[in-house]
Amino acid sequence: MSNSLKLRDIHKSFASSKVLKSISVEFNQGTVTSIVGDNGAGKSTLCKIISGFLPSDSGTVMLGETSLTNLGPMNIRNLGVEMIYQDLALVKQQGVITNLFLGRELVRSPFAFLNRRQMAKKAAILLGELGVTIRDLSVPVNALSGGQQQCIAIARALLFSPKVVILDEPTASLAVREIEQVLGIIRNLKSRGIIVILVSHRLNDVFAVSDRIITLHSGEIAADELVSETSIQKIVQHMVGATVSKMG
Amino acid sequence: MFVRKISQNYSSLLQCMILFVLMVTTFSILTPYFFGSHNLRNILTASSVIGLMSVGATYVIGSGGIDLATASIVAVSGVVSAWMIQDYGIGPIAALFISAFVGSLCGLVSGALIVVTKAPSFIVTLGMLSIVRAIAYIISGGVPIYGLSENVTELGQGSFLTLPYPAIFFIASTLLFGIVLSASRFGVQVVALGDNPNAARAMGLPVNLIQLKVYTLSGLLSGLAGFIFMARTNSGDPSAAQNYELMAITAVILGGANLFGGRASMLGTFLGVLSLGILQNGLNLMAVSSFYQILFVGLVLVSAAALRRFGEP
Repeated sequence: MSNSLKLRDIHKSFASSKVLKSISVEFNQGTVTSIVGDNGAGKSTLCKIISGFLPSDSGTVMLGETSLTNLGPMNIRNLGVEMIYQDLALVKQQGVITNLFLGRELVRSPFAFLNRRQMAKKAAILLGELGVTIRDLSVPVNALSGGQQQCIAIARALLFSPKVVILDEPTASLAVREIEQVLGIIRNLKSRGIIVILVSHRLNDVFAVSDRIITLHSGEIAADELVSETSIQKIVQHMVGATVSKMG
Repeated sequence: MFVRKISQNYSSLLQCMILFVLMVTTFSILTPYFFGSHNLRNILTASSVIGLMSVGATYVIGSGGIDLATASIVAVSGVVSAWMIQDYGIGPIAALFISAFVGSLCGLVSGALIVVTKAPSFIVTLGMLSIVRAIAYIISGGVPIYGLSENVTELGQGSFLTLPYPAIFFIASTLLFGIVLSASRFGVQVVALGDNPNAARAMGLPVNLIQLKVYTLSGLLSGLAGFIFMARTNSGDPSAAQNYELMAITAVILGGANLFGGRASMLGTFLGVLSLGILQNGLNLMAVSSFYQILFVGLVLVSAAALRRFGEP
């Protein structure tokens, strides 16, 4: 049975502004699909609808046979869809472990007291697998580098074996070495059979890791192409709304 | 390494401890009456009403909100309890539960208004401050309800094994809700909400429910404080506890909490409450005018804020 992520006829408006118009698309297991587009094209809104952070006005989101439509962030996370937000959505005065388990803390019943030992153990194993080195996991996250913070956000997404990982501009504010680390993690996700959705302005990064690129323009899909069949120049043309023939 | 770790994680709490030790040392030197077991019990008793309010305020401030209605809740819960005792002859335990219920109800209304209207907690609780105080005046007809039975006042003025009952309420609440704040899922999520509300929503935290619980808890503890105030003064006074909400907030901030949320410690709040209590008690023992006492409270708060600002990276 296919566990693909299917979006059907998604619409979203803010006041009188139509941000997404009838978006239908399918994301497959073990592939990296990038969503690109100019500012305001609807990329982040689409991802936030998949993650449950925003409700859609109409349309359906299905993961395999399970409907995710407007279930809310926690239910959608529990069904295996994780999103790494552009601002990372970290609670920066708290430590690494609090951030990794935020919303899904391991507790001892019946009073829901934290199982700190278990959380620390699980966090150390995961960060080790990702090659992330943080000496003291109790240090507030705002004392860590941008790259380390990005890694914590990614690690949080991977902690509970996700089926879908959405990354919104994960390399936007990173140094070259840190970008390589993030791209390496994306390749690793793909090799594990996870559905990876990448939103990025950095087309070099997009071409480095993607199998397929969807270009949004004014809330509609302007192009849906395999990486092997397109180029940066073509993508830019789709982004600005120009057709190849007009440009040619 | 160890010192750096302590300073990174606990600098606010450390500053609060320094302030507390400074207060104790200063007044121990300045007045011979300060460091006696009788006076220390006095400090604990006198601090218990603001202490109970501060325990609730620690949650509210930790969650990124503010509750200005707590002192009015102290007044209305005391008035309602005193009225029930006088007119219906209820006992002290029933009165205690009624105070707690009235307080919780007021807190729940504040929380519901914040969740439903999405208005800032400052505005909602400022409104509740007036509404609840007015209800206290309306119920009592504007005059204190005097003459409560001895078994009621015993809970405000008596003691168990030399520890005054009000202090027992304060210490027990601090311990219980301190453990919940630092070691439970709810406590972690309260502080996470105050730290970054957008992140809390994105991670699927039940933000509305957390807010409802936090303001209800603040109301519950203010209701208990109202009972203690009533039992200590032997009256349900609609004008009780004027400006106590600001003292409670001051204690929480002195205790190292971030006024904008995301950082709160019950140990810090406990020390903050005691520091304020010691300051007032010490100045009383030195026969300093109450006008100057207000001045000193303000100076301590401003100094602590400045010290913390310099201590930040």
